[in-house]
Parts: sequence; structure tokens; C-alpha cells
Amino acid sequence: MNDHAPGRASTGLAAAALLVTAAVNWHHLAWWCLPLLVIASAWHTRAVMRADTLPGRGARVGLTLIITCGVLLSYRTLNGLAAGATLLAAMSAAKLFEARTVRDWQVLNGATLFLLLAACLDRQQLWRLPIYGLCLWLSASSLRGLGGGAPLSVSILLRESSRQLLYAAPLAAILFLFFPRLPGAFWALPGDGSAITGLGEEMTPGDIARLVESDEPALRVRFFGALPPARERYWRGPVLHDFDGATWRRHRATAAPATALQLRGPSYPYSATIEANAHGTVIALEMSTPPAVPGVMYTDDFQMLSRRPFNQAQSYELTAYPQALRREELTADTREIDLALPADRNPRTRDLARRLRASASDEAAYVAAALKFFERGGFEYTLTPQRLGRHSIDELLFSTRQGFCGHYASAFVALMRAGGVPSRVVTGYQGGEWNPIGHYLIVRQSDAHAWAEVWLAGRGWLRADPTAVVSPQRLSREMLAFDDDTGREGDRLRGSRWLATVLQSWDALNAWWQDDIVGFNFTRQQKVADWLGFGDRDWQTLAIALGAGMAAWLLWIAWSLRRLSQKMRPDALARAWTRIEMSLARAGPARAPHEGVLAYCERLGLTNPSMVGALTPLARQYVRLRFGPPTGAGELEDFLLRARRFGRHDVD
Amino acid sequence: MLAALRLRAVERIARWARKRQGEDGVPLTLRARRLYILPTRAGYTAGALLFVMLIAGLNYTNSLALLLTFILAGFVLVGMHECQRSLQGLELLSAQAPDCYAGLDGTLELRFASAARAPRRALTVRAGSGPVATFDLAPGAQASVQVSHRCALRGRHRLGRLELATTAPFGLFRCWTWLHLPVEVMVYPRPLGTRPLPPAADGRTARVAPSVSSGEEEWASLRAYQPSDSPRSIAWKTVARGGPFMVGQYAGSAGRDYRLSFSGLELLDTEARLSQLCAWADECARVGARCALDLPEVQVPWGHGAHHRTRLLRALALYRKAAQ
Repeated sequence: MNDHAPGRASTGLAAAALLVTAAVNWHHLAWWCLPLLVIASAWHTRAVMRADTLPGRGARVGLTLIITCGVLLSYRTLNGLAAGATLLAAMSAAKLFEARTVRDWQVLNGATLFLLLAACLDRQQLWRLPIYGLCLWLSASSLRGLGGGAPLSVSILLRESSRQLLYAAPLAAILFLFFPRLPGAFWALPGDGSAITGLGEEMTPGDIARLVESDEPALRVRFFGALPPARERYWRGPVLHDFDGATWRRHRATAAPATALQLRGPSYPYSATIEANAHGTVIALEMSTPPAVPGVMYTDDFQMLSRRPFNQAQSYELTAYPQALRREELTADTREIDLALPADRNPRTRDLARRLRASASDEAAYVAAALKFFERGGFEYTLTPQRLGRHSIDELLFSTRQGFCGHYASAFVALMRAGGVPSRVVTGYQGGEWNPIGHYLIVRQSDAHAWAEVWLAGRGWLRADPTAVVSPQRLSREMLAFDDDTGREGDRLRGSRWLATVLQSWDALNAWWQDDIVGFNFTRQQKVADWLGFGDRDWQTLAIALGAGMAAWLLWIAWSLRRLSQKMRPDALARAWTRIEMSLARAGPARAPHEGVLAYCERLGLTNPSMVGALTPLARQYVRLRFGPPTGAGELEDFLLRARRFGRHDVD
Repeated sequence: MLAALRLRAVERIARWARKRQGEDGVPLTLRARRLYILPTRAGYTAGALLFVMLIAGLNYTNSLALLLTFILAGFVLVGMHECQRSLQGLELLSAQAPDCYAGLDGTLELRFASAARAPRRALTVRAGSGPVATFDLAPGAQASVQVSHRCALRGRHRLGRLELATTAPFGLFRCWTWLHLPVEVMVYPRPLGTRPLPPAADGRTARVAPSVSSGEEEWASLRAYQPSDSPRSIAWKTVARGGPFMVGQYAGSAGRDYRLSFSGLELLDTEARLSQLCAWADECARVGARCALDLPEVQVPWGHGAHHRTRLLRALALYRKAAQ
């Protein structure tokens, strides 16, 4: 039944859908995959045009083996999203070489839809949505051409499938809202090891320069109440402890005791949508209380770590207490970790530390003196510093004297440790830009920042930002932009209000997309259930809403598709004539189904000659209007008028 | 084994459907009550594919993947409705089954009409396990469909179950209905037999016999008129069209008459005799010879032409089958 060849419109659409979908996946396909697909499509087109025979079984098996080996060589595995997508795309290319029957093309469309699924699993940006939609549309159109019957044209297939997709959209919305979601994953594909740009897990001063180039959003934050003052907008990310003289690294995290944070001062509840990042750190405003979400660990250095990397944007609801105290006791382990410095490096920095510590009365004074050193030392803030050698901190402090936040945070922490003050580097973001259209704060990758934390006996951990004293304008620039919530932008967009509005609107749309569509999860679904619900039995509300929604949709579909099998409504001419016949039927015999209008008049004339006198001219006119050459609208009007009169007066 | 089980199940369901639908009349409009729909094999595969997509989307809590899955599910369900709608409201205007031979393919001619606004596509009709006839119907159009069917035995038969189906719009669902039409087919014996025609009877005596002429003379060829020709053999139609005077001729056997006799065929069993008689009757009609048929209980008098052939063959078909 499925062994006949489908129409060319359908196969062309299927090939186009496959190519576009593979192109959408290009970032995780092997390099040879797309060219292979293009060649296969071209070859198939040529073979179809010239009615060539398709390759035999041996060639096909060989090709399959070669492709499998190619994927294994490229990825060392067949498992995982990237390897799987590559395998699927390459096998589809192989299938193109032998695609002949309807079933073959159905299989190809299935592969296309799976590739589209892979793309959806991997990337969810808003700008991709129209492209994904195009893939779906092309594939759906192609499927419509595989139902059998006479081949249809591309335009009919596209039109009918778009109508079908529009009918499907409400059901998709209902299922999206109410189909029960899971709180977490129950099975994981191995990751493909490709890092997503963002904050690193480690910092070699120089890394952050690369981040500065990126204007990508890192997180978007909606405050439920007031905004915290600009100087408090430090977004805490990975905390780095281990230093080998060049690179700062994370230390194994341990969970924090619940009492570690002593809350005080104003609180700022907010919800943050954090873009995908490889290290799974929940970037949070300092100091936020942990979110009530399973799978997030609150560590003793106040990071929030998700068990898994974020493959897609995640939303968290948090509350920040910028003035909270972190007054826990330092354990011996932690003290040791946060005082460690490689002994064989940076001798001049150690000298400086010893000098400053000797002249300071206590540790707090030492921290202040060190900050003063950075303020008065003639340091220059630049994004393109000179490269540093083995004694990187000595070179920075005493010879090059230029760098950016990573350099200064690194140097400051080294100085503190050399002076016996436990300290660590905190990476994250500082500042953010207010979006007046979406009413949220957007923090970009270019806002990435690094600062230091020092531990003082009796006062706990305190933030110290050497970059702020080296280059106050580095921070004040954003602060100017922050404090003005009416939409004046930073220097990025100076000069064009119009462009700024467009960009902000686009970003607001993106934020909505990320928050409400991509970020729609178990928690948000529970909220929808709460909003609809009657009490706390959420799953019941969801089930009722799902059932009712689907039933309503099915009724709607049945009703709207009814017109497909409904009879066409007769035109005004036919309706008028039917009325005449109905009034005649009261007086005489009805017209037989095979009988023409004029023949009927003749037959009536045999029995009812009186009636026919008025009827025959009317029947002639009807025949002329129905079957004759086109006439003006006036004649039709005239006929309709006379037909109405006939019904009233002429039949008695 | 599995196929046999499946066939038995289908037969059972078809019998059940026959019981609940009852006999159909013509003309006939298909109502939703008698339409059955199931996924095709591709449809089950698509369902499995959607399930995998759903699991992937749920597992990764990936909203976009779920959205894709849901919109595809909606797409498939809309297609299911469309599939059923392409049969619902379809009208069967007439069904005619010309006579056919036992063991050979006969043709059933069906005329369908669609008053719907949307086209109906990929409609298929099939008699028993015969070949499938496919047709499309534009909005408001009519179409004649020829379905071949096969009868094993001669006689007058009620037409078997017809299956009218569609897999439109995309082959994932198949909607069908069974038609039990009040159509009878006359099945002639199979024209078999190698014996030559019996010796021709005397033409003149035969002509004296009451000729049941069907009124439509069938000439095998025409030749120019000669003064000795009988006026009865002049092709008056040609003359009426303004042509020359021509005389009709029965090709090769003009003037020959054959008496086709059942009892003359000894040494054969009944069905073989009927087959031979059938073959002779066809031969006579082909060459335009006059013939008469003698069966033990039935006699068909002298005659020739298409109508006469039908008479002979029907007599052969119904020989000792009248009770059925």
C-alpha cells in the first residue's frame, strides 16, 4: 500500500525540510555531515530527473557502515545528542540515495522531526523559533503529500498543512500548560563536553578579557519590590580558592550549615532567569538565601550549585539581603585553603605584604592599607593588558601596573594571603542594565567581574573590590545607568534612542520567551494550577484542566472540520428556483430528479395549463441565467424579484 | 499464521458490521456511524515517535521539545479528523455490474458524487481481495470508478462486500466503510473448449424459422449493391446518410447458421459442456453467425447480434441454477 512513489512536490518538500533542519543543527553536527546531505539531495534530484536506477543493496550497506565509522571516528561514541544527531543526519543522507516509496519518505520525515527535536533540546533562543517553525511547516507539508491519491502541488501542500498546524496550535497550548511536567530528569544523555561561554570554572587573569567581548545576556532579574542600590549589585558566581601562581581554581564544595548567614537589613525578593552555563552555578545577588528547589546545593562559601550544568535557561526565585553577615567561624581546613600561596613565586609581593602588615594595627587596617595601595599605586584599568610571566603578581604590581578586574582581584587576594588574612576570589557579574520595557535588569556577559573576599575575626567574610578603587568609573558608568530607571542607556547605545528602544523591546521579548515559555517547568505549572485551583490538590486541578481543554479542542476541531464534508450552499439563483418549485409542489406534481426545468414546465402544462402561462417565461429566464452566456447583474435581480412575486401570487 | 488470524478477525468484524449496518440501498450517503478508522502501520510508528519525543522533552524538562511534540500530536489528530471527513457525506449515486465470466475479472461501475467544499482525495474501492481502484473527487464533482471483481461460479450472484477506504491526508490513519450493495451480477460459464463449431445448418431453412431479431443488425462488412441482392440486406442507414447503396455481409460465415446443442457434446461433464457452448456462442457473435441453443430444459431460438449473445450466455449461466 505504501510501495508506490509519492509526488515530486512532497519529496522536494521533505528534502528541503531535511536540509534546513540539518542546517539548524550545524553547530553540533560533524563537519562532513552537511556536505554529505547536500550531495545526497543533489544526487537524488538528478537521479529522479533522469529516471536513473537507485543504487543496489551492497552499495547501501557499505554506505551505512562508512557513515557509522565516520560518526565513531568523529565522536568516539554513538551516544549523546551531537553524535546521535550526526548519525541521524548522515543516515538520512544515505536514505536519500535509495528513497523511492512513500514509506521511505515517511521515514525521512520522521528523521527530520527527530533532528528538529535535537535542535530544540540543544538551543532555545527566540530568534531560532521562526526557523524551527519553518522546518516543522516544510516537513508537515511533505507528510501531507504522502497520503496517496493524485500528486498535489507545493502551494496546496503548504497551504493545507499550515491550516492543519493552526488547528493543532490550541491543543499544543493546552497540553503545554496542563500536561503534567516532571520536577527533574530521570535519565541523562552523556554531555558532549562542549563548554558554553560564560564565567569559567577557573580564572587565569586574561580569561575575563574574552568574556568582555560578549554582549550575550547572562541573567535577567525581576525584582518584586524595590531595586537594591547600584553599589550592592554584585552577582555572585563561582568562588575560587586554589592558586598555583597563575590560575585560580575552585575547591571542592561542601554544604553550608543553615546558620551560616545572619540575615539583617533590607531584603530584596527577586526572580532570576539564568542563561545556560556549563558550571551549573546559580548566579545570585549577594547575599541570597538558598532557593526552595531540590537539586541546588548551598555551599559553605555561599555558592549555589546545581547538580547538573544548565543546558538551558533556568529560573529561580530568591531573596537577597545585601547587608547580611557571614559570621561563621573559619574551620582549620578552610583557613589553610584560603591562606595557601605557592612559596616559590612573587617574592616582592610577599615583601610588600610584610611591610604593609607590620605598619597596620590590625587585620582590618591591613585590608584598608592594601586597598589604599591599589588606589594610589598608579594602576591603570585596561581590557588589553600586557602578558604576565612567572611572577605574575609581582609584574602586575611593580612593573606593568595595568590590568582589569581579574588581575586586581587576583593580586589583592595574593597580597591578603601573604599578609595572613584568609581570602578568596569571587567571580560573577557587577551592575546590569535596566530594561524599562520589560521592567527587569539585564546582566550581560560583558558585566563579568571578579572581586575579593577577606575574612576578619569577629566580622566574618567581607567583600573587598580592588577594581573599584583602581578605576571607580568602571563601576560608576553602570551606576549612572542604573540609577536612572527611565530608560537612559549606558554608553553602548548612546546617540540613538530609537535603536535603544528597539533593542530593549527585543530583549524584553526574549526575556518573556525565556521566562514564560522556555522556563515553563514543574514549579510554574504548579502556579498555574494554584491560580486555577480550588485548594491544594494541584494535580487534580491540572488533570481537570487538561481533560476539559482537550475535550473542548476536539469539539472545536470536529465543528470546524465539519464544513469539509458539508454540502455547498446553493447560490441565489438555485435557491430562488427551489422556492418556485416548492410553491408549485402544492398545486401539482414535483419535478423528477432527471427532469430538466423546461421539460418539467411542459409536463405541468399538460395537466395545469393555467399555471404554466406565468411559469414558462420564468423557467426560460432561469435557464438563460444558469446556462446562457454571462449577463449583467440586472437580469439576475429581475429574476429574483419575479421569482418572489411568483411565489406569492401565481399559484392558487 | 499471523496473516490467517488477522484475516479471520477481519472477517468476523466485517460480519458484525454487516449485521449492524444492514443492507445498503443506492443512492447512498455515507454517515459517520458506519465509518471505521484505525492508524496504519506508519501511524503506529508515528505514535511511537511522538511518545519518544514526549519522554525526551519531559526528561530534559525542555519546553521547546514538548511544544514541538504537542503541536505534532495536534497535527496528527487533525489529520485523523480530516481522514474521517474525506469519507463522511460521500454519495454513491449508482452501482452497475455488467455480466462477466466465471473465473475472470468482471467490472463493477460505481458513480460517486461529493457535495463537500473540500476535495476528497485518495479514495480507494476494492471488491473482496481484488485490485484497488483509486480516485479523487473535486468539490461538487462526480466520478465513475471501475472496480474489478471476480466470481468463481456461474449463475446470478449477489455482489460481495465492497470496501471503500482512504488514507488521506497523510497516510497515518485509514478510514474505511463496508458497502453491501443490492447489485446482482450475472456470471457466465467460463468460455473454454477446443471443439470446432458444429456443422452449419442449412441457411435457408434456418431463415424460415422465426427470427428473433433484436432490431439492430450487425454487419461484419459492407460491399457494393448488386441487382440480385435482397432489399432486406441493404444497409439502409448508410443510404439514409447519403452514401451509396451497400449490402451488409456476415463475415466469413455469412448465411451460415449453427445449432449449439448441449446433448451433442457427449463425453464431457455438465460444466465443461456449458463452457464449450459458451465459447461457441462467443465465436458465433464474433463472426456474426446466426445460432440457436438447445439445452435439456431451455431452448433459445435462432438469432444473432449482441442481444442474442447475451440471451444465450444468460441461459447458459442460469442452467439448472434457477433455484439459487
